[in-house]
Amino acid sequence: MTRIASVLRRIKTDAAAPVMALVFAVAASSVVLLVAGSNPIQAYSDMLKHASKLETMIDILNRATPLFIAGIAAAIGFRMNLFNIGVEGQYLLAALVAAHVGGLVHLPAPLHIALILLVAMSVGAAYSGVAGVLKVTKGVHEVISTIMLNAIATSGLIVAGLQAWQAGGGLGGNVTRVGTTPIDESGRLPNLNGFVEIFTRDIGRDRELTGVLVVAIAVGVAYHVIVGRSRFGFDLRASGANPFAAHVGGIPPKRMIVTAMVLSGAVAGLVGMTEIMDGGVFPANPIQGLGFAGIAVALLGRNSAIGALVAALIFAFLDISSGILQNTGSASREIVQIMQGLIILAAVVAYQVTERARAREEAKAAATALAAVAS
Amino acid sequence: MARAIELIGITKRFPGVVANDKVDLAVEQGEIHAVCGENGAGKSTLMKILYGMQNADEGTMKVNGQEVRFHKPTDAIDLGIGMVHQHFMLADQLTVLESVILGSEPTLAGGRIDFAAAKAHLAEVSQAYGLNVDPDQLIESLEVGERQRVEIIKVLYRGAKILILDEPTAVLVPQEVEELFRNLRELKANGATILFIDHKLAEVLAIADTVTVLRQGRSVATVKAADVTAPQLAELMVGSELPTPATSESTVTDDVVLQVRDLQINEAGRPVVSDVNIVIRRGEVVGVAGVEGNGQAALVDGIIGTRPVAGGTIELLGDDVTRQSVRHRRERGIGYIPQDRQREGLLLLAPLWENAALGHQTQAPYSQGFWMNRSGMRTATQEIRSEFDVRTPNIDVAAHALSGGNQQKFIVGREMHSQPTLLVAAHPTRGIDVGAQAAVWDQLKAARAAGLATLLVSADLDELIGLSDTIVVMFRGRIVATLDPAKVTPRDLGAYMTGAATQDDAA
Amino acid sequence: MRKSKRFTAMALVAAFGLVAAACGDDKESDGTSAPTGPSVGLVFDIGGRGDQSFNDAAAAGIERAKAELGITFTEASPNDDGSNRKELLDLAAESSEVVIAVGFLFEADAAAVGVANPGVTFGVIDSAMLDFANGAVPYGDNIAGLVFSEQQGSFLVGAAAALKSTTGQIGFIGGVKGVGGLIERFEAGFIAGAHAVNPDIEIVSEYITEAPDFDGFNAPDRARDIATAMYEGGADVVYHAAGGSGAGLFEAAKAYRDAMNINVWAIGVDSDQYNTSDPAVRDVILTSMLKRVDVAVFEIIKAHIDGKVVGGPTVYDLSVDGVGYSTTGGFVDDIVDQLEAFKADIISGAIVVPTDPAEA
Repeated sequence: MTRIASVLRRIKTDAAAPVMALVFAVAASSVVLLVAGSNPIQAYSDMLKHASKLETMIDILNRATPLFIAGIAAAIGFRMNLFNIGVEGQYLLAALVAAHVGGLVHLPAPLHIALILLVAMSVGAAYSGVAGVLKVTKGVHEVISTIMLNAIATSGLIVAGLQAWQAGGGLGGNVTRVGTTPIDESGRLPNLNGFVEIFTRDIGRDRELTGVLVVAIAVGVAYHVIVGRSRFGFDLRASGANPFAAHVGGIPPKRMIVTAMVLSGAVAGLVGMTEIMDGGVFPANPIQGLGFAGIAVALLGRNSAIGALVAALIFAFLDISSGILQNTGSASREIVQIMQGLIILAAVVAYQVTERARAREEAKAAATALAAVAS
Repeated sequence: MARAIELIGITKRFPGVVANDKVDLAVEQGEIHAVCGENGAGKSTLMKILYGMQNADEGTMKVNGQEVRFHKPTDAIDLGIGMVHQHFMLADQLTVLESVILGSEPTLAGGRIDFAAAKAHLAEVSQAYGLNVDPDQLIESLEVGERQRVEIIKVLYRGAKILILDEPTAVLVPQEVEELFRNLRELKANGATILFIDHKLAEVLAIADTVTVLRQGRSVATVKAADVTAPQLAELMVGSELPTPATSESTVTDDVVLQVRDLQINEAGRPVVSDVNIVIRRGEVVGVAGVEGNGQAALVDGIIGTRPVAGGTIELLGDDVTRQSVRHRRERGIGYIPQDRQREGLLLLAPLWENAALGHQTQAPYSQGFWMNRSGMRTATQEIRSEFDVRTPNIDVAAHALSGGNQQKFIVGREMHSQPTLLVAAHPTRGIDVGAQAAVWDQLKAARAAGLATLLVSADLDELIGLSDTIVVMFRGRIVATLDPAKVTPRDLGAYMTGAATQDDAA
Repeated sequence: MRKSKRFTAMALVAAFGLVAAACGDDKESDGTSAPTGPSVGLVFDIGGRGDQSFNDAAAAGIERAKAELGITFTEASPNDDGSNRKELLDLAAESSEVVIAVGFLFEADAAAVGVANPGVTFGVIDSAMLDFANGAVPYGDNIAGLVFSEQQGSFLVGAAAALKSTTGQIGFIGGVKGVGGLIERFEAGFIAGAHAVNPDIEIVSEYITEAPDFDGFNAPDRARDIATAMYEGGADVVYHAAGGSGAGLFEAAKAYRDAMNINVWAIGVDSDQYNTSDPAVRDVILTSMLKRVDVAVFEIIKAHIDGKVVGGPTVYDLSVDGVGYSTTGGFVDDIVDQLEAFKADIISGAIVVPTDPAEA
């Protein structure tokens, strides 16, 4: 009974923080909207009305997919107390190499897709592993090294790669199209429209639900199970929570650092799959910034798979809402970024508050137990 | 003349602990008053209350006859109370003068610091109390004793007439202790009142006029230093009803569990452990005595595998594990009670049932192959909880919620639960209450009787003498004596520990 | 944990639901008189209105269409990472008859949305909107590419630079290299024009960043450093094709001129930057290479009204004044005759301006 009660209490305090954060963020955003001369109720109504459309939901899921994967990549690092800022460079580099390799080879579909995913994960893992190795051998803090590696990736390696591997050159005139050689149809994950339409009406307006969603779900489930239930996950969390105690407990700290960075990078490598699997090429103007957005997702989601899912959906919903707000003129697009910032800020504060409340409550309970035995 | 300080009925509670229970303390003007007691007796809490760092839940506090309530240290400073902390709060890159005036700089017009005035005032203060310092020296170039002097001057500079010194000798070598005592007598001669916190009886008797003894959060006696002997004071400190650590007959067998040969461990290129040879057999407790910092910690790290070994071998049950990982050694049956339980023993924010697996997570019942076994973890935790009397509302609370004693009982329970062949216990009863201490002793004795080999490192000489079958003394990284606890007194041990005595045939 | 997160989701729905329920459907109606022209959805590139360059030029075209053709319009800018370009186009297509996408980055998305909305006219700035994967045919009759012969305009300002240079050395600063050869076209024309005046002139070229790093279009500090180095190296006229970074070039020119008392010049791009830049630096702007995005925007709307939309590229070159050079400030008054002669030769085909710097 006490166990059930304590679990219930835990849920209550766990839910309290996100709810508090959300209420605060909505309230504060309303104030911002009012100050900016917009009608908050109109704006929220437009956002919700828009989001309730099937096509918009597809957009939200398509946006949430890479955000979620990036969030998990960051969370793996956070669990180990590593701040992998390098998800950004890792996923871009991984996507470029994977797109290039995928464009070169011609294979049957499952093999082709598997190869692309494998290449992406390997490149991300290797690039992230560099930061891990630097940390354990040279003591370079991973924040510093990953920032450097990001710069090397985006202004060095990817520039060179794009130039060396770009297709569609030599067309002359006003050709503006650049990117890697398009990947055969066999190397692209099919969209999930058929699956969704089993449950809903036909999807209109040219929308395709990305097949990478399946990959994201697999990553999320694997993360949840491995971190929560496996011995490796235990070692990872223990090392992150208290590296000294973990070391004494037989968990080699250096190996855990490298492993965590490699795994984080491997997952990061998958972030760019929506781009190259859906578009078939790594373009000259890839979507950038997902790595940093992933940090926010992990933060809001408290490094849990379910939390990251909710966080990714919230961010995706807000990102997608920027269009409708501009289209209807009910608010400027900046409000979306303001809301995202407010939610993160409020969540961080709320988590702290509830964490302390819980610590106090537990200490009190323990003290009571002690007194009860003593008297 | 009113008393400098008078505390009446001070009570302070923390979750799970009553740190101060109706403590009375009366300090006369111009005396050196020692507050002594064991670790965890409530000395530090009392001083924090007196210095305004914590608020008492109950009780009255008077300074120079006037009732006061402090909310922050500056309240205490304003009334002429200054505190010299055990850990110095000095910045290496500042000069002595800068360090002393930091936070109370005399300023000229425009906010510039008036260094001339500061220097003059500093000279005045050091003259008045007979404390010599060079104001222009960098802190980083000072010896420990000199830094402490700077801390004292810093307090005097702010006009303190009542000084609280929190275990000031803990960081000093004997010559520095003498120097400190000379300074304190000088201060006293110049009218200062000194409150001196310590648990080293010889020092207390050497310097104090009056001694107040705290035990388990209560003030048990206030005596004139001239009227008591060290053993009497010790009895006051530990109380007569205390359990003794003494074990009965020997259970030592012939089966060697741990054999350490010619062990050398380096730190920053210099040996901190050299030529150490230790043999521990089944059913034997080998105690390691030594003043802190003489290589015991490194020895422990080397044996459990968290620190690389520079030379020599470590054999566990006949297998050379010198180059093996911590995990390998754990799986081979090393249990470990770390010296700092919060730093090395627990995941403070994780629930107890996860903490139970730490160090044993590769073994049943905590895991099965790749996966952790949650029900196994929970069952084992319940067993630890009941067998080792860990007082907790349930096993889902985070480890930090437990009191220190219960955390320690939990760690001991965790290590014992997987039935180790060798237990490495570093200061297993440090900083825990007497009840938990007795429980831990009982567990160690029971395990010894059941055939456990134990390496016991402790600063508590009575504990060492009481529990050990053999005692080795470490001094500057070497074993300087191997002694029979039946034939040795704490005084003898102390002589070896400080290098005053040597044993030619030390193993 | 799982349950708690569901709470979060519920709370989210509840929080928004309350607000949504509280509001009725009270879309406010526009107070102005009902316009008669078509509705136009303008989708800016990242940065949106107020960039003093590309996006503002497009907005100017829309304002003119509003005044002369009586259109209504909505406008939108993508998120900072450009992730929602396609959604914005789709939203615009849903509510407008004409959709104008400002910038080649919209190419793929505009093609997709354009095919899905055959009844809506699409105009994409800076992209030919040809499907190269299928033999370079237009994506659709409703999808127009509005492209500019930047090399021709750049040729003229290159000639102006060479005519004005006294040191025999001039410079070019590109924003981002490797985006489909777009900025390279500016460079090629500039070099060709300069060489046409003085075959021995020395031309130094530098790009601020390379794709996929698009910071080069908005890095005035880096442009300033590069420009300063060019002036110190002996160049006395520097042309930029670097969007918002150009401000750094102007600052550098102004500072160098003031400090060294040497009459160095800068050349602007896209719009007449003598009018749009900081008044303090205007007297160093020799001329600007004009790229009439406003004209293109106006013309595609007009074509829609007239039913004359053509799929695929429409080229705005010197012959239709789609590109050109500015004379504001009067600094090129003395060489206008020579520049007009070059212009005539280009229009007549006597001079063919290269698009690749390697051929210039």
